[in-house]
Amino acid sequence: MLNINKVAENETMVFELEGRLDTVTAPELEEALKESLEGVTQLTLDFEKLEYISSAGLRVLLATQKQMSEQGEMKVVHVNESIMEILEVTGFTEILTIE
Amino acid sequence: MQDKKPGFIARMRSSMAANIIGAIVMILCVLGVLTSAISLASFTEAFKKEYSTTTYHIADTATTLINGDHLEAYLEGGESEEYLRTRRFLENYCKKISVSIIYVIMVDRSDYGSFTSIFNHVNNSVDNTSYTEWELGYKRATSDEEYRRKYKAIYEEGALYETIYSTNTTGNIHPHITTIVPVKDTAGDVAGLLCIQRPIRELRDARRPYLLTIAVSTFMVALLASMLFAFYFRSRYAMPIVRVSDEATRFAKENTKGEPLGRISRFAEIGNLAVSIDTMETDMVNHIEELMRATAEKGRIDTELSLANTIQENSIPNEFPAFPDRSEFDIYAAMTPARAVGGDFYNFFLIDDDHLAIIIGDVSGKGIPAALFMMVTNILISDRTQLGKTPHEILAEVNDIICVRNTAEMFVTVWLGILEISTGKLTAANAGHEYPAVKDPDGSYELFMDRHGFVIGGMDSVTYQEYEMHLEPGSRLFLYTDGVPEATASDGRMFGTDRMLAALNRDPEGPPETALKNVRAAVDGFVQDAEQFDDLTMLCLEYKG
Repeated sequence: MLNINKVAENETMVFELEGRLDTVTAPELEEALKESLEGVTQLTLDFEKLEYISSAGLRVLLATQKQMSEQGEMKVVHVNESIMEILEVTGFTEILTIE
Repeated sequence: MQDKKPGFIARMRSSMAANIIGAIVMILCVLGVLTSAISLASFTEAFKKEYSTTTYHIADTATTLINGDHLEAYLEGGESEEYLRTRRFLENYCKKISVSIIYVIMVDRSDYGSFTSIFNHVNNSVDNTSYTEWELGYKRATSDEEYRRKYKAIYEEGALYETIYSTNTTGNIHPHITTIVPVKDTAGDVAGLLCIQRPIRELRDARRPYLLTIAVSTFMVALLASMLFAFYFRSRYAMPIVRVSDEATRFAKENTKGEPLGRISRFAEIGNLAVSIDTMETDMVNHIEELMRATAEKGRIDTELSLANTIQENSIPNEFPAFPDRSEFDIYAAMTPARAVGGDFYNFFLIDDDHLAIIIGDVSGKGIPAALFMMVTNILISDRTQLGKTPHEILAEVNDIICVRNTAEMFVTVWLGILEISTGKLTAANAGHEYPAVKDPDGSYELFMDRHGFVIGGMDSVTYQEYEMHLEPGSRLFLYTDGVPEATASDGRMFGTDRMLAALNRDPEGPPETALKNVRAAVDGFVQDAEQFDDLTMLCLEYKG
């Protein structure tokens, strides 16, 4: 289960994610991002309520990071301990801007 | 042998058309009988009325032949000249108008219980009867209450005439009508009664052909109406329903598309039924075909997947013991895909006599895409490892190759180590893979927090750092994919690395195969009957020195 809450303000967009980002829910996030990233220069992913991220979720993060590198900036905020561990293990801490 | 068919009677009984037509014919028959009876009754009534009126006129005319003032005198004076003359007149009259009996009586007016005959002429030839004539002065009792009542009506109530029908007769007495009229004296008082008995054979004779005509014509009409209705009903109602019923029965047996019924009736209920049957047949046949096609397709895909599973299983070493002639180390590994094929892999092989390569990897995602990606990655890494390159070089090169055409944004985590068998020196690099668990001699399994690089396939020109560790004889190295710590129970809890280490430490000195079995048993006990969600791969190396 994944709840996606989208807050848009001009060219800044915040995605608040709640639940699990896994094989089942990653396509939902990918679809939601694909629909709304046009013209966005500042993307923030809020992980405060995210419980788990699988490799399929990491794939979406990677694709989004690549797209945002071309049109602006992306950052990930409020990353909890267990997800931070996954990001560290997979080396994603090195390509993402985490605050 | 042919199927035993129900008999004609049984078929008619269960046939809707036969039942409805039968009921209609029955109703028409009853109606015919009723019509005949009613018209016969009214015919009889009219006939009787006409007959009695005629008879009255005959009787009334006869009274003019009789002198009412002299009746008493005839009784007292016997058969006088005048009496005989009057009697002759009556006899002639009687002959001319064909009446059976004509008689004149005087009734005892005290109770009308008896009467005395004055004139009596019988004409037996008229109705083939055998009456005998009464003498003048013959006395007898009144026949019955009806006669008594009618006599009284004429004497006292001034009735013009009275009629008695005798239709239920037996023996020599034939059906007849008796009409009674008063014989009046000059004062206008009733002096006696003149009665005429006439056969009503004519009524019977007229009724017979009338009844026949009525009955025959009614039955002919009923028959014709029945036939017309039967024909109409059969063609308009019964046949369309029979066709729908036959078609539905045929379809239920054969499940194949038949000749469409179309709009076989202009009645909405039947027409819609036929159209619905046609639509249903088309839909059902399409559905059946679709189902068969899908089943065949699924069978084909299942066969392909089963073959793919065999190919994938055989692309990695899966026979143990893997190196029966090497006593310096023991290795055991297992891969269990969540679906038919998976994105996890492991590999190990001797680069030369003194160097053992160990690889474990996990492609993002599952199923066929992950399996294709896994096959490519395994070959690319294994090839370069065979060439004697170092782990960080190998990972960086493979990453660059994969990134060139990686439009699907897939990536793979890889841990790659090369063991110098003679010394126990292990050189390794980690591209985003899980931390290995390491056990020192006489120690317990613990996670080894090695240095991590980014996953392979995520971004080009990534560099990887290499590290070294020394395995003492008795050391063990346990590698796994995230399917182990992220195995999830039905309530959402994950297995985690702590449970994994606990399972490993149940028998830390056991051989690699035991280590894998313990972890697997712990994972199965933890997730219970929840579906395996991710590929699950483990590898354990025991260094014996």
